Amino acid sequence: MHKIAEVEVQHDIMVANRKLAKKNQRKLDKESVFAVDVVGAIGSGKTSLIEALIDAMDYRIGVIAGDVISKYDAGRFQQHQVPVVGLNTGKECHLDAHLVEHAIHDLPLAEMDILFIENVGNLICPVDFDLGSHMRMVVISVTEGDDTVEKHPLIFQDADLVVINKVDLADAVGVDSDKMVKDVGEINPEVQVIKTSLKTGTGFEEVVKAIDKFLKDY
Amino acid sequence: MHELSMAQAIVDTVLDAAEKNNATEVVEVTIEVGMLTMLNPEQLKFLLDVITEDTLLENSKIIIEDVPVEIECRNCEFEGLANTDGSDHYLAIVLCPECGERNVEIIKGRECNVKNIKIEKSDEDA
Repeated sequence: MHKIAEVEVQHDIMVANRKLAKKNQRKLDKESVFAVDVVGAIGSGKTSLIEALIDAMDYRIGVIAGDVISKYDAGRFQQHQVPVVGLNTGKECHLDAHLVEHAIHDLPLAEMDILFIENVGNLICPVDFDLGSHMRMVVISVTEGDDTVEKHPLIFQDADLVVINKVDLADAVGVDSDKMVKDVGEINPEVQVIKTSLKTGTGFEEVVKAIDKFLKDY
Repeated sequence: MHELSMAQAIVDTVLDAAEKNNATEVVEVTIEVGMLTMLNPEQLKFLLDVITEDTLLENSKIIIEDVPVEIECRNCEFEGLANTDGSDHYLAIVLCPECGERNVEIIKGRECNVKNIKIEKSDEDA
């Protein structure tokens, strides 16, 4: 004879990540390190933007470079003589707080003011995974199409800063970058949106100032 | 592909609860998935079916309940169910139903919660 019993479980799988993210932030706060989660599609220009920020900002910067399998981006950051930890997610489509916890452990936080966390190239999965950063910067480019924002609204809903990159290519690819700015504003009216081209330098100073302001206001 | 890692975390949670309660089999699992998660319930269910082979969950019925979005509006202080722009899981844009503003705090809708399980136990353990 067997008996059926009902067991209350009430275990939220998402909560574990959020708890770890808070722990990460407490650790960063203790060392006075301001962390920026940089999210965006493959080829939007996240790596190039972080490289330019490392060179332009008067802060001691460290980087976590998230990739699915390679260490290519980590190698690029190392050439800028900053502390770097490369993270491979393997089959996963996002960084999570647990991976970042290990990476933070391997960084010289006491010698850093800003930590850039380059997330895996993906506008979907990172929505579910807080890392413990103080701000989230979403980087998209005109070459992804001017319906990118409409197609991925949730990542923009939580963004603290949105960069629309490669605007010098807008005409060549037949894209209306103003529409992209407008679409972000409809989803997240509070967020600052900056059109940039790292090739021509358009908008880059504004990005530097925006991050600086977030850091000082924090 | 984070449905796979979520499915694995769900299975681990269920197995843990089942073993603690001396289950001989898990008959039913109820999971709550918030409409603001980037999880596709169909994919999640499919993966759960695949990875539960040869476990106590092998023949269990998986029930996935959608959790609608609840908000607190920072603009008009409305508390309750949000207007979600379309019912698609991926594209729920959250609006306050009172004032139409998007400046809202999410109270519910981001969970992936193993709510409860039904287990079979032998009489000696019952």
